[in-house]
Amino acid sequence: MTRIAVLTAIAVLLNGSMPLGQARAGQTKIPRAADGRPDLSGVWITGALSLLIGDKEARAIADADRAAGRTVAPPEPLSYKPEAEAKRQYYLSRRGIDDPMARCFLSGVPRITTRPLPFQIIQMKDQILFLYEAHHAFRIVPTDGRKHPDDIEPSFLGDSAGHWEGDTLVVDVIGFNEKTWLAGVGTIHSEKLHVVERYTRDTADTVRYDVTVEDPEVLAKPWHEHEIFRLRPNERLREYECIENNEDLLRFEKLLEIDPALRK
Amino acid sequence: MKHLLLGTSVLVLCAAQLSAHHSFAAEYDGMQPITVSGTVAKIEWTNPHIHFFVDVKSEAGAVTQWKFEGYPPNMLVRQGWKRDVTLRIGDTITVSGWKARFDPNLGAAREVTFASGEKLNAGPPAGTGGR
Repeated sequence: MTRIAVLTAIAVLLNGSMPLGQARAGQTKIPRAADGRPDLSGVWITGALSLLIGDKEARAIADADRAAGRTVAPPEPLSYKPEAEAKRQYYLSRRGIDDPMARCFLSGVPRITTRPLPFQIIQMKDQILFLYEAHHAFRIVPTDGRKHPDDIEPSFLGDSAGHWEGDTLVVDVIGFNEKTWLAGVGTIHSEKLHVVERYTRDTADTVRYDVTVEDPEVLAKPWHEHEIFRLRPNERLREYECIENNEDLLRFEKLLEIDPALRK
Repeated sequence: MKHLLLGTSVLVLCAAQLSAHHSFAAEYDGMQPITVSGTVAKIEWTNPHIHFFVDVKSEAGAVTQWKFEGYPPNMLVRQGWKRDVTLRIGDTITVSGWKARFDPNLGAAREVTFASGEKLNAGPPAGTGGR
């Protein structure tokens, strides 16, 4: 074995033994597809990691982030116009029982991504598939230059059109119905919702997810969300069939009968 | 006041974003923690929550059945649970969690301690989604 080969083997062993993300930022080359674009393919997690992988591993990831100097901007409050804000406050006062998610509705964009359930990205030459464990949802994002079609029916996940800006995948999403919430309780939107997602594979193990949300009907100004996706090489998508035994709707009806705080 | 409002918004947003199926506060009271020990009587290994029923015997011998809600199967397996192995009918367990707001014997399970002493998360912490 040559000296270079030995050194390479040691480097690979050392690299492989490091905790997820630790000191690997900038050291490991990001995988690239045949066309030279960063390859986003893989199973990823984001959002509330401790709910998904337990407190211990979530803490290890947080520690690795600190060691690598990786930070995420804190959640930005949504800024609503007065009428929409009144609606949001109404939903908050009802403790979230109106959440479309509790009714097992599909989550929209970006909420489908930030739920504590994994999703898989499959990158192909002219399109990228997003498969979400939540509700078996999927999105097909064309990257061949086509624009949004002119016959869009409003839908939960909208219509996505993608393109590359350097090493960043930019996905423009319109055509939403108004049956989903953006992030949490009362975060309503209208059919004028316009979402722009930016996916940047900044290391071999992570993707930066930066979202801009505009809705001139209900939002006073655009809202921004930032997350980090974590690659999970040993993870696979499982099944989550929300409607199977959703007792919550019956409980909500009961709560509405007996809890005056909810009858506002 | 402005800072207080901003802080409140951020807190609400954080808590809400952790929600995975429904708001914890919709049904449960984070100010009423409970710990219950008893025998597993029934298990529903279902979405969007598992439910398990625990018979709790009082000192006088009366049995009260508690119902607990937890993560769905796809999340439990990632916390170390295995169907028909981790939790079985007849097992003696201790459940910690929070009481429902109105149903006196319903709870959101956070952690289960098994007869072996092993502890596993069964559901989210108070203030987040109850799945």
